[in-house]
Amino acid sequence: MSESKQQVSRRDFIKKMATGSAAVATTTVSSVALPAEKNKRYAMVIDTRRCVGCQACSVACKTENDVPLGETRNWVEYIEKGEFPNVRRSFLPRLCNHCEDPQCVSVCPTGATYKRKEDGIVVVDSDVCIGCKYCIQACPYGMRFINPKTGTADKCDFCLHRVEKGLVPSCVNTCQGRARIFGDLNDPQSEVSQLVATNATTVLRPEMGTGPMVFYIDADHTDERDAEKQGIYVRIDTHRRQQKRV
Amino acid sequence: MLNRRNFMKLSAASATIGLCGATVLTQAADLPEWGNKGYSRKTGRERKMVPSACYQCVTRCPNVTYIEDDRIVKIEGQLNSIRSEGVMCAKGQGGVNQANDPDRILYPLRRVGKRGEGQWKRVSWDEALTELSGRLKKLKDEGTPEKFMFHYGRMKSSTSKMVKSAFLATYGTGTIGNHTSICEGGKWVAQEFTWGGHFDTWDFDNTRFVLNFGSNALEAGTNHIPTSHRLIRAMAERNVRMVTFDVRLSNTAAKSSEWVPIKPGTDLAVVLAMCNVVMSEDLYQGDGEAFLKYCKATRDNFASVEEKVAALKKHFAQYTAEWAEKESGVSASLIRRIAREFATAHPAVVISYRGAVAHYNGNDTERAIQTLASITGNIDNPGGRCKAVGPKWKYPHGPHDKPKARKLALMDGPKGAAVSPNHHMSHNILKMIKDGSAGRPEIYMTYTYTPVYANGEVQENIDILKDESLIPFFVSINPFYDESAALADLILPEPPYPERWDWEDMVSPVQIAEYYIRQPGTKPLGETRDFGDVVCELAERLDMPLGFKTKKEFVQKSCEMTPLIKAVGGFEYMKKQGVYHDPKAKPVFFSYMKEVPAEKYEQETVILDDETGVYWDWKKAHLHSEEEAIKKGYAHTKKAYKAYVGQLIGNTVYSGFKPDKVNKSGYMELYSNLLEDKGVPPLPTWTKAPEHEAMDTDDLIMTTYKVATQIHSRSANCKFLTELYHKNPAWINPVEAKKRNIADGDMIKVKSAIGEIEIEARVTPAINLGVLAISHHCGHWQYGRYASGNKAPTGQDNDPDLDRIWWKGDQGEHPNWIIANAPDPVNGQMRWMDTVVKVRKA
Ligand code: SF4
Ligand code: SF4
Ligand code: SF4
Ligand code: SF4
Repeated sequence: MSESKQQVSRRDFIKKMATGSAAVATTTVSSVALPAEKNKRYAMVIDTRRCVGCQACSVACKTENDVPLGETRNWVEYIEKGEFPNVRRSFLPRLCNHCEDPQCVSVCPTGATYKRKEDGIVVVDSDVCIGCKYCIQACPYGMRFINPKTGTADKCDFCLHRVEKGLVPSCVNTCQGRARIFGDLNDPQSEVSQLVATNATTVLRPEMGTGPMVFYIDADHTDERDAEKQGIYVRIDTHRRQQKRV
Repeated sequence: MLNRRNFMKLSAASATIGLCGATVLTQAADLPEWGNKGYSRKTGRERKMVPSACYQCVTRCPNVTYIEDDRIVKIEGQLNSIRSEGVMCAKGQGGVNQANDPDRILYPLRRVGKRGEGQWKRVSWDEALTELSGRLKKLKDEGTPEKFMFHYGRMKSSTSKMVKSAFLATYGTGTIGNHTSICEGGKWVAQEFTWGGHFDTWDFDNTRFVLNFGSNALEAGTNHIPTSHRLIRAMAERNVRMVTFDVRLSNTAAKSSEWVPIKPGTDLAVVLAMCNVVMSEDLYQGDGEAFLKYCKATRDNFASVEEKVAALKKHFAQYTAEWAEKESGVSASLIRRIAREFATAHPAVVISYRGAVAHYNGNDTERAIQTLASITGNIDNPGGRCKAVGPKWKYPHGPHDKPKARKLALMDGPKGAAVSPNHHMSHNILKMIKDGSAGRPEIYMTYTYTPVYANGEVQENIDILKDESLIPFFVSINPFYDESAALADLILPEPPYPERWDWEDMVSPVQIAEYYIRQPGTKPLGETRDFGDVVCELAERLDMPLGFKTKKEFVQKSCEMTPLIKAVGGFEYMKKQGVYHDPKAKPVFFSYMKEVPAEKYEQETVILDDETGVYWDWKKAHLHSEEEAIKKGYAHTKKAYKAYVGQLIGNTVYSGFKPDKVNKSGYMELYSNLLEDKGVPPLPTWTKAPEHEAMDTDDLIMTTYKVATQIHSRSANCKFLTELYHKNPAWINPVEAKKRNIADGDMIKVKSAIGEIEIEARVTPAINLGVLAISHHCGHWQYGRYASGNKAPTGQDNDPDLDRIWWKGDQGEHPNWIIANAPDPVNGQMRWMDTVVKVRKA
């Protein structure tokens, strides 16, 4: 969107504090190896300037995908930091990164977890999954869980049942800030492509070599380690049963 | 609807309104659709979709409901809504849990055993209504219909018209309690004294600057999603700055350009000082000065603009920024800087909510805010603080002949408790019943209202409701077994909103009315019955048929009676589309500037009131002659505001700021003769809660707040919401915590004048010194298993998630146990934010 270029950050304070975080790297689309053929490459851009931490995405995901209590395909972390009165809170929505080189796929012994050729979505075939939990260990982002209803691995699938029919994912549909933008990175005209091309974006844990396809604009990637290093108050609320951030 | 098309439509819509810069978008080739179409995850088949409306909160966003296997499985925003523009909040998404809560009440229940003991017997509707109508008939026959008290929580639009205007009015009771004083009644009253009718809309689409006193606009609010998503857009796309004064770093404060921590109850001081800056630095010149023509700023309604300026300068001179710094803890230089920015950013909008107004001095806080907006020319203009615009439904009124309602004077609190409680003092109703001096109801009926949990002084509420000598018969109309239903004698199960009919009328943030309806996604579950249908049957049983038999029929008739809707196809259109707005309608701004045509004010029964400059129709005010009208005068004639025609300003008669509830003039009344005559300072004036004057050095002030994922008291049964937010630790600043030897996560004791609670502490720099903040929403002891762990009497075990509640026993604590039901002494608003507490480690 055209406004993103001129966007002036209102949170220089936070920015300064965020620098030095080991978890961040600026990524541009050119640094991501994409297949050249006509297939789609679905991705999401999360513009945290437009995210207000409302959690509509988390609930929309639960209802759309019937996610059992205790497990989450999508959550929104609150990062509160600073010392009174210079304290701010920022929001970091989390979901599966639909990685270009997904470690969950490489460890799966049955082929139940695979990356779809036609659009890059990483899915689990619950008919094939044996519930061995290798993928759960392997995902550096803690995105996977065993669904108690099926006994098989589960995670965000970009709402495949919607996307296949030409609908945006449910979390995108409800987002009041229009902070979540979904689309095809292989289409240079798509909004995700344009956003990635015209903004400094970051991904989570780039050092893992997974090639995440969820790109953040203006995200605060502070974690507890940064807090310790900088000697400031940092509190991260995950809003899920798993209270530790992964 | 295409994603980008939708986007473009949105920006185009905003662009037509005014200043909003339309975003230029490049067209992509292959775009996913946005929604309002859904597919089953199980079968891949398209789901049945019913356009309807949310009712998690009072905002009532249009939505669409998806149905699979006869159950409501998914809710999403209505893309064709000009209010919500298709987005929803977490609560709206979680509405699907309301319909599928395994602890829903499924059939009528009659108490057996002692009240509150939890022993129930299933009864048929016939049995229940035979008993109820028998009791109602007896009261009516004895000529004491007022002994039937009806007390409602969430009741608006068509339900309100059916129940209040048709059923209760035909029955003859005026003993009707609302819940406005625990919500925003105080704000309404202050607005009624200034610009007439209540409700302010904040035009974020066109504003350049937002000044926020105590509104958590991005998490909650009476017109939440329609305004909050526009606020984000304004900030993200147009770099609109927002400065938030709040005791706590709410998410709204967190997204603001600046958060200014302020002492509770002192927003008034800051606003008064900002008015001082605007007046003393001549920043009113320009739009503010032009607007003063339409303002009343002195006792004299015919004062010149120069006289008004002089009076305001004189009044606000006492409130310097240095003075305000001492009261509020906000630095004088910041107050000056923000005041200047606000005054020069034109258009700018000042917004306010309970954080600022649910205080002892709340009435003048809101009046001062109205004043600040006025003297900077930010009233009812694009980008400013506007008079709300909503749809005007026509609807059946029931039988023509209605008795003059009789009522017990229970609604306004004890005599003298508030000067002008225009929207009553519902948090004092149970106290008034206990007191008995105004009489007591024999039947106390609540509708989707939980007096026990929603008000302060929870223990007293329980004690009164349990006492059969005070309340002989208590009927709860309720979808859920809440803390109040547990004390009832008869529970009549209402379906939750996704299974109900209504036409809806919430105001629009774009100043264009939106008409919309709610329709059931499925048949009401079990034996639940829409209360709109129940009153029709009750009326028949009482031999006073209403002229319609169901809510659906009422909605249908309303659609056919409302010309705009009828013209596009009436009920059938609305069932199919869900929403409608007139595509030719222009946003309504500056409505006060409209001139009243001569034939209107030259009518025979219309006269000019010399004192106020108001043209009014004495006949409409039920007076008998012009002489009588001249003698009494407009301001001193009961309910003369209903007879208002226009305001003479100079030589022109303007429609002005039309009065409502009080006989104000057609000016924006910064100076109120009406308040002055009641012994209240006429211009906004500093006062402070007496208990805040008398605080010990180690006392804190406890305030409450709402989060984005729960409604005040009616959503804890929604499993997906409660999974996200089930406990409410008390926020305390590290400095205050250290003084009391409290560590993060410790249990603490919080003691007010009326009681003590124990709660976990959250030690965080995100809150001001001197404050303890505890949210509402938590600490339920009923409302089903997701809310409290306790099964409702008709609870079923058909939801496997019941075994996965991982927050059992960690459900927080309700602050209302220790909050007094104290009113703002002017407008009667519940003072949620004034409680003085002592805090220590448990
Ligand atoms: S719905 Fe959008 S604004 Fe709300 S938390 Fe999720 S990403 Fe943020
Ligand atoms: S985020 Fe985890 S689960 Fe998702 S694709 Fe990457 S490795 Fe796999
Ligand atoms: S894309 Fe679908 S599955 Fe993934 S987080 Fe969003 S709603 Fe959940
Ligand atoms: S703001 Fe949220 S809860 Fe309120 S009506 Fe809208 S969607 Fe529903």
